[in-house]
Amino acid sequence: MNAIQTTMLAATDAQTVNAALLVSALLFAVGLVGFLSRRNMILMFLCTELMFQAAALAMIAFGKVHHDISGQVFVIFILTVAAAEAALALGLVVLLYRRRETLDSEAWSELRETA
Amino acid sequence: MPLPLILSLAQVDTSPATATGPVSPAVLLSGAAAVGAAGLVLLMQPGKQSLRIAGTVLALAGFAMLFVEVLKRAGGSGEGLPPVFPVIFGFMALAGAVRMITHPRPVFAALYFVLVVIATAGMFLLLGAEFMAFSLVIVYAGAILITYMFVLMLAQQSPVAGVGDAWYDRMPREAVSAIVVGFVILATLSETFFSPAGQELRDSQMETGSEAGLVAAWDRLEGMPKLLLETAQKVEPTATAVVVREGATLVARGDSAVVAVKLADGSEKEVVLGPKHLPDNGRQIGVDLVSKFPAGLEIAGVVLLMALFGAVILARKQIELGEDERRGLAGMRRMTVEGEAGGTGGIR
Repeated sequence: MNAIQTTMLAATDAQTVNAALLVSALLFAVGLVGFLSRRNMILMFLCTELMFQAAALAMIAFGKVHHDISGQVFVIFILTVAAAEAALALGLVVLLYRRRETLDSEAWSELRETA
Repeated sequence: MPLPLILSLAQVDTSPATATGPVSPAVLLSGAAAVGAAGLVLLMQPGKQSLRIAGTVLALAGFAMLFVEVLKRAGGSGEGLPPVFPVIFGFMALAGAVRMITHPRPVFAALYFVLVVIATAGMFLLLGAEFMAFSLVIVYAGAILITYMFVLMLAQQSPVAGVGDAWYDRMPREAVSAIVVGFVILATLSETFFSPAGQELRDSQMETGSEAGLVAAWDRLEGMPKLLLETAQKVEPTATAVVVREGATLVARGDSAVVAVKLADGSEKEVVLGPKHLPDNGRQIGVDLVSKFPAGLEIAGVVLLMALFGAVILARKQIELGEDERRGLAGMRRMTVEGEAGGTGGIR
């Protein structure tokens, strides 16, 4: 019983790192898809947070590969930027909502170049 | 006991697979990613239950194929049993992320993002980043997500009876081309991360880097005299000071380090510190942050301060604009709003 527990629980470092890198790549891709396909402005910014998560996970996984703790320190900076971005972006979104009474990003499509 | 038999069978079964893993065709990862992407396309079609189920099955199959292939490439113990926790956290994170970008209700999407954060924090724990795991949960799930929730509740229209949620939350915009872009990114990333060359580089780095990592950790400890004394006191409780010998307080020898300390009775003694005596993860991050990235720390502070100023300025403008609008629109809109629901008049 002990043997099965230890073999099941003991993922090697290489396996854990590979799984983390895969999850990071997938989270980034899903976040990108969400950013491109959601119309709700708040959720678009939430999807960028998802991409931040993926970047942080990759940082920590590569920090583990290189046995360097600086990878974890970078995540602190990522968190800082994410917090600042959330505060400003949400303030802007609320301003935009006041103007058009909708969160639909297409309500602002007149800002784009005329094709 | 059939268990050893199963284990040995699994071992026999996976060893050729591990051998052929690195030379297996590069299209395998991209193919699995394509299956997952196809599932995501089906999942994003609004309102069709059967398509959704098929999409879930396809996406799960794609993710599972990716995981199996990637874990196989890691080689590892060859035990044949999958590493349980990385897979569980990985699937939690992915399910949360997919649900987040497909859910028609924004508040639920934000809650699914909390699930992603928690699963990622679990991954951080598995990778030995305890401090960052907990600060991720506190900062993201505790602070940033609450801000998002507030704004969602402030700005979201309540679902109209009969119509349901807002149409722009139900209908994805250009789902297929968005997924194609995401798939290209995913295929590129996974091919970069898990190509045989990249895998080999990472494996050798993990093997050889362990010593260098410990030396760096000892270096960091040497730069912090007070922490060094505290660490030495874990081994030798009566130590009162660290003695400098040949210009250094600490000599790293392989994975252990030697520190000379002065004892309470005035005599000197050499203390041998092992890897288990290293400061904990949080302290190491702190020391690394202030010793290696002091400028980054300052800039992070400036970024936060500027975000604070920016938020204040945005909020100020908002009130002025509201008053202007009120004056410009000459009350007509207000009257209709107050006629419908008196409570919303205060927001405008």
